[in-house]
Amino acid sequence: MARNTKLGARGVGRVVALILVSMLSALSASAGVAQVKLKLPLKPRLPLRGNERIALAPFVIATEAEKARDKRLQNVDLQAEFQRFLKKQIEKKTKLEIVPVPPEVKLPTQNLTELGRSTEFWRALGGQTGAEIIVSGSLEFRVEDRSGYKTEEYVSPIDSRTYYRQVYVEQTGFLFDIVFMVFDGHSGEKILQDEFKDFRQTGGRRADELQGLFENLFSLENQILNLFVARDREAERYIFTD
Amino acid sequence: MAAGCSSYARTEKAQTQISFGSSVARRGLWREAAFRFQEAIEREPNNARAHNNLAVALEAEGEFARALAEYKRALELDPNDTYIRRNYARFAEFYTSYTRTTGKATGGS
Repeated sequence: MARNTKLGARGVGRVVALILVSMLSALSASAGVAQVKLKLPLKPRLPLRGNERIALAPFVIATEAEKARDKRLQNVDLQAEFQRFLKKQIEKKTKLEIVPVPPEVKLPTQNLTELGRSTEFWRALGGQTGAEIIVSGSLEFRVEDRSGYKTEEYVSPIDSRTYYRQVYVEQTGFLFDIVFMVFDGHSGEKILQDEFKDFRQTGGRRADELQGLFENLFSLENQILNLFVARDREAERYIFTD
Repeated sequence: MAAGCSSYARTEKAQTQISFGSSVARRGLWREAAFRFQEAIEREPNNARAHNNLAVALEAEGEFARALAEYKRALELDPNDTYIRRNYARFAEFYTSYTRTTGKATGGS
């Protein structure tokens, strides 16, 4: 008897669930709205044919002074890692032809404004390498200890009341800031300058700095490549169906 | 056949165009969808839903400046519609960053 009653309750539950589901379906159908995914086409920022010869010149490293003090930054060869990343991305995802820059090439200045105005230098580098466009700029990478006390909600198992307590949370922040400058290899004129920033925060005080650097770089990958080639960006929108 | 289709299209109501347009849009056929939503607007110029849908289709085609105009028209016609407001907010966020990075207020066309 008891078993029958229990089954009956289950049955009622199922019926209620079915009614709810059908009511929800009816509601969504009558609402006449559908969510759609779009791939927004982003045009390349630079007006290129697509198969130009490109030279990757050195970048000004903005954290050089800090690097001497911060042991964690000493493990990261920012110039080499970034150049390698950029070269790989351009080779993989564009049809641009990368021409090598002689290793003895040194930037004429470490000042970004002056670098942008060094028309003679860029024209000479363009002539020397045969590059139609030259990329340079500045890089900044910081590892920040973001550990500290944070207020946390706590529900007591004894009286079920909510309390607030201070907990010590260990976190590391990685900040990456790139200023891109693109020069015309024939005239030496600057044709584009833009800045991309990314900040990532991970748990733990001893998070790996190289991993942090690549987290930053991969999140900026789309924006960086959009300088040279068309990219897509995913978006969600609503359309009415009736 | 084409004449038949065209005559068929002319006699259809705005609602039918929206319904057909949305079904092809969900299959990713945005050019056809844009055409259908445009047809709906020709039949009912004050249909906020048609303007919203056309804006979405134009966005998908990379015609951002025209999409902006359509979203604005849709909001003008129905300023309280949650979906249109949400779409417009998301588009505005994207379009602001797009025009900031490309340095131009035209898109696609």
